[in-house]
Amino acid sequence: MKKAKLLSRLRGRWPGTGWAVSLEEAATVRSMKRGHRMPRATPAYSLKFRIIRKALTEEKRVSTKTSAADLVTETDHLVEDLIISELRTRFPSHRFIAEESAASGAKCVLTASPTWIIDPIDGTCNFVHRFPTVAVSIGFAVNQELEFGVIYHCTEERLYTGRCGRGAFCNGQRLRASKETDLSKALVLTEIGPKRDPATLKLFLSNMERLLHAKAHGVRVIGSSTLALCHLAAGAADAYYQFGLHCWDLAAATVIIREAGGIVMDTSGPIRTGEPERTSGGWNVPETLQH
Amino acid sequence: QIIRKALTEEKRVSTKTSAADLVTETDHLVEDLIISELRTRFPSHRFIAEESAASGAKCVLTASPTWIIDPIDGTCNFVHRFPKRLAITVSIFGIHSWIAFGDMEMMCTGSHRQTPQRGLGQCGGGQRLCLGAPKNLSKALVLTEIGPKRDPATLKLFLSNMERLLHAKAHGVRVIGSSTLALCHLAAGAADAYYQFGLHCWDLAAATVIIREAGGIVMDTSGGPLDLMSCRVVAAGTQEMAVLIAQALQTINYGRDDEK
Repeated sequence: MKKAKLLSRLRGRWPGTGWAVSLEEAATVRSMKRGHRMPRATPAYSLKFRIIRKALTEEKRVSTKTSAADLVTETDHLVEDLIISELRTRFPSHRFIAEESAASGAKCVLTASPTWIIDPIDGTCNFVHRFPTVAVSIGFAVNQELEFGVIYHCTEERLYTGRCGRGAFCNGQRLRASKETDLSKALVLTEIGPKRDPATLKLFLSNMERLLHAKAHGVRVIGSSTLALCHLAAGAADAYYQFGLHCWDLAAATVIIREAGGIVMDTSGPIRTGEPERTSGGWNVPETLQH
Repeated sequence: QIIRKALTEEKRVSTKTSAADLVTETDHLVEDLIISELRTRFPSHRFIAEESAASGAKCVLTASPTWIIDPIDGTCNFVHRFPKRLAITVSIFGIHSWIAFGDMEMMCTGSHRQTPQRGLGQCGGGQRLCLGAPKNLSKALVLTEIGPKRDPATLKLFLSNMERLLHAKAHGVRVIGSSTLALCHLAAGAADAYYQFGLHCWDLAAATVIIREAGGIVMDTSGGPLDLMSCRVVAAGTQEMAVLIAQALQTINYGRDDEK
């Protein structure tokens, strides 16, 4: 969708709101890396956050994707189009993996090319219900390695950032992950995931049961995997696990957690090379989980 | 302010009824502060407060004006510095079986205050709280809390309640770690229902007023009227939703606040 057309459509929907289409990434990179120029970013809050905040108070047309619990709204599409069009203007050779494009059939293959990995609204179910836990997540990879990530908590106005070798921050404050190793003192976060068939639910609940039997302090489900992972990076929780999230939920948060000193791995166990497909943990959770 | 400072410091943590039922010095400090301040102003009033009750004070609700206090709701979150869900809840119970006044503050998040009074349902900041009106379990966002008991039988009941709601195609179930804040989300229309076994009168007292003033329903899990001391609750935007939730639940027995 052309930028001008998008803007005029947005102006029509929300007259009176100021529009300034600018990127918000907090990291500014100037060095050349392996022949790929890292994108220069401007620290400025973006229009897309305002779209989401405003839309939080309005009626939404909601449709479903893979299941009755897998929701998508117009705002998901709008925000994603906006992000991609803006990035494409600046970086025409870059590639994109984004949630709604993938749902429309675009392939999700990570190549060596500089690639933006985008979730326009993480926590769409919360968004639909106006439950105030909603985020935008943008990750960036080069040579199939994650380089930086940005996650914005839309209602609490918190910007989480992480860049390889440069640390992780939330609104300027350095993030440090928890060093807890004892499951019986841990606060564990997770998400239910989109599948709601009886067999899946049984597995999900039995995983939760196992962790609670191990005397975990608590298990929390907040409805946004990216924000839950940010809490982990901030040291406000000790572990996160999930089945049923996607690369666009993980990409930015993985950098942020690792730069905060945490671990992100596959649910099957030790760290593997390449993109982790599933979840993350502060300690060795895998043996307690059923897949 | 005490809490904000404590969020960044080491805490001495002890446990109450189970490994998951935490209490810190700050809980005690805040409660003492609130009670001493209120006692100075209202020397004839009575108090039911979480940490006093844990130390053995009786939780009997009489006809006297009674302040019902939870100094920190979400202590587990507090210990872990889980920053989002934390509340101090204070309410006054003016007339027997009628909650006259609810006052709730969310600290450490810099967020909104909610201060309704009987007949005025409103939120500090001018925004009137209002509930949504879904009647169908299949599009509902439901909030709950695990509760302090972690024995295998209780966990099985807790998880099977969750399972039943997810089978009914609820959009989602959320566990945020603070019952009072979850109830506030309900009052604000950000969720459709809340249920819990294992909470206390001080978690319920203020939030009940807020939800009812926002047009919602607060009742017992059996479907009958709310019993403040029964350690259980169902709350929802509509009567229909509350009844649907109540019907889906199996009871988890936590006794009563006024029998401990």
